[in-house]
Amino acid sequence: MARILTIEDDAVTAGEIIAELKIHGNQVDYVASGGEGLRKALAGNYDAITLDRMLPELDGLTLIMRLREAGVRTPVLMISALSDVDERIRGLRAGGDDYMTKPFAPDEMAARIEVLLRREPQTQETVLRVADLELDLMARSARRAGAPVELLPLEFKLLDYLMRHSGQVLTRTMIFEAVWGYRFDPGTNVIDVHMARLRRKVDAGREPSMIRTVRGCGYVLGEQP
Amino acid sequence: MSEPANAPPLLGAFSESWRSSTARLILAYGALFAAWSIVLIGAISWETARYLENLVDQILQQRVHFLASVDRTRLPELLAATTALDLRGVMSFGLFDADRRYILGEIDQIPGELPVDGVVHALPHGIQRVSGDRGSRTRGVALQRSDGLVLLLARDYGTVDRVGAIIRGSLVWAMSLTLIPGLLGGFLLARGPLRRVRGIEAAIQPIMRGDLRARLPISTRRDELDMLAAIVNRMLDQVERLLGEVKGVSDSIAHDLRTPLTRLRAQLYRLQRDSLSGESGALLLERCLGETDALLDRFRALLRISELEDLHRRSGFRAVDLADIVRRAHELYAPLAEDKALGFSLQISPLPAVQADADLLFEAVTNLVSNAIKFTPAGGQISLRTTVGAHGAQIEISDSGPGIARGEREAVLQRFYRTQQGQQRSGFGLGLSIVAAIVKLHGFRLEIGSNEPSGARMTIHCSPAAA
Repeated sequence: MARILTIEDDAVTAGEIIAELKIHGNQVDYVASGGEGLRKALAGNYDAITLDRMLPELDGLTLIMRLREAGVRTPVLMISALSDVDERIRGLRAGGDDYMTKPFAPDEMAARIEVLLRREPQTQETVLRVADLELDLMARSARRAGAPVELLPLEFKLLDYLMRHSGQVLTRTMIFEAVWGYRFDPGTNVIDVHMARLRRKVDAGREPSMIRTVRGCGYVLGEQP
Repeated sequence: MSEPANAPPLLGAFSESWRSSTARLILAYGALFAAWSIVLIGAISWETARYLENLVDQILQQRVHFLASVDRTRLPELLAATTALDLRGVMSFGLFDADRRYILGEIDQIPGELPVDGVVHALPHGIQRVSGDRGSRTRGVALQRSDGLVLLLARDYGTVDRVGAIIRGSLVWAMSLTLIPGLLGGFLLARGPLRRVRGIEAAIQPIMRGDLRARLPISTRRDELDMLAAIVNRMLDQVERLLGEVKGVSDSIAHDLRTPLTRLRAQLYRLQRDSLSGESGALLLERCLGETDALLDRFRALLRISELEDLHRRSGFRAVDLADIVRRAHELYAPLAEDKALGFSLQISPLPAVQADADLLFEAVTNLVSNAIKFTPAGGQISLRTTVGAHGAQIEISDSGPGIARGEREAVLQRFYRTQQGQQRSGFGLGLSIVAAIVKLHGFRLEIGSNEPSGARMTIHCSPAAA
């Protein structure tokens, strides 16, 4: 069970965040002000923080900068009503690990927190493995149960991302952001088509599929539980 | 209290006329003119007075010296002649013996303030005559002859004053003859524009009440007021257009969102009524979520457009390789095109780098490609290519779909517009508006044309529009 600190001055949004995080089995502490948030973030040993950009007393940007100055590396998901690209860049520069704009879908928020929680230090591994699926980063090749899987460069990138976050729900927006590097809505079916192709290649007719669709949300790569 | 509304109508109109700029100008000019006339006439009258005074003094001096030198026996006769010659009777004399006793003449007494020295002196209070008449201002001279007789000559100075009075009178006449018609004319002149301002005010009333089709009247004179009215009319055209757009947008938003919301409500209602559970309930919930997501997507796109329209920054612009953007867009959409059994070709020719925001340009290109895929029926052909046109780099997306009718080409760029053929499909309305906003932000140009033999051809001209 992960311990998460939610710093959010809007009670309704906070309620939503807390409820969603609890559903995913997290323990959530909640504070409504920046000053209190910074104290808790410095003292408590949290696994992740959701941080509102605009807060009373101490705004989100300053809070995160103080936190990083104090040497606290807890992953932070910034949630802001400011959707401007520049705002996002500012948030990430200040030390945020991810940035979401309000209003947001709670499941998307939970998925992003999940990714932050399971973030591992960049491994030097050259081969990623999930069950019988292997991705050789050096040779840029994939094998399923020993048999080679032919991938286009983009599909390779996509599989790389999915395998690094195996077992985690990844939303379409997250996938589009991570693999293509863009932050706009390309229309849901574009990503779906790419996922369908990758799935076909990876599964090669096997059942059940390595890549599971989470209804209304996104995708998970991994063996079926 | 000075409010024109409280003043009687006629007086109000009058005082209002005088507040107009023409009237003010005329008043100021009149005051300046009057002041200048007074100074001028004053100078002339002063100069004239001095000249006349000198003349009088010289005459007196000459006479008295002449009379001082003549024989004593001829004196009474000559004195009489002196006054007789003086037609206007302004000259008077007195003859006294050595003891200042009166001998003859109109003046029987030497005034105390007049020294007997042969020099002309001013006698501001006149001089006492035998007749009892003192006269007004007078200049006089007294001289003792060598035989002891004292001669006194005085000349009434009133002539000079009368000349001054004539000059001043002429000033009054001149002023009244120029100022009164001038001010009257000014008042009438000021009333003309004021009447037109009233007309404009009346014409503006309906506009202020919300009728944006009304315009200000423009006369045939083409003067300043007309120029101003023309400017305001142009502004009103723009305001009308913008407000029309806003109204169009809110209308289309309302229409566009009502359908999915109604569907959503119907499904939720079914869920509640039938208290569905298990597979069918989950499916229905899934569909509700789908509908809500679609709605949220619409809103997101709308917000994105207004965000783009607000963006004025060019700071994020860098040298961008169009070929790379187009290649990525092709890569992203190729599978989708293939799934719809569409041919999707990519043609890249060497291009100069373009100053742009790569992410936004990519968004624009993918929007156009996405539209092309959406509207081209299965088996069709889409081509994405970069070319160098007369004005620089171009990105061209053409398809073999139904195309966009010539008359609809302007309208499709507006939010939520859908072509007749596109009525059934979703998401068309906002995509092109986003493209238009991005292109506008860059100062580029979006050309909507047609493809041979059928279909649409969208071209982004990636060179700053000629300013």
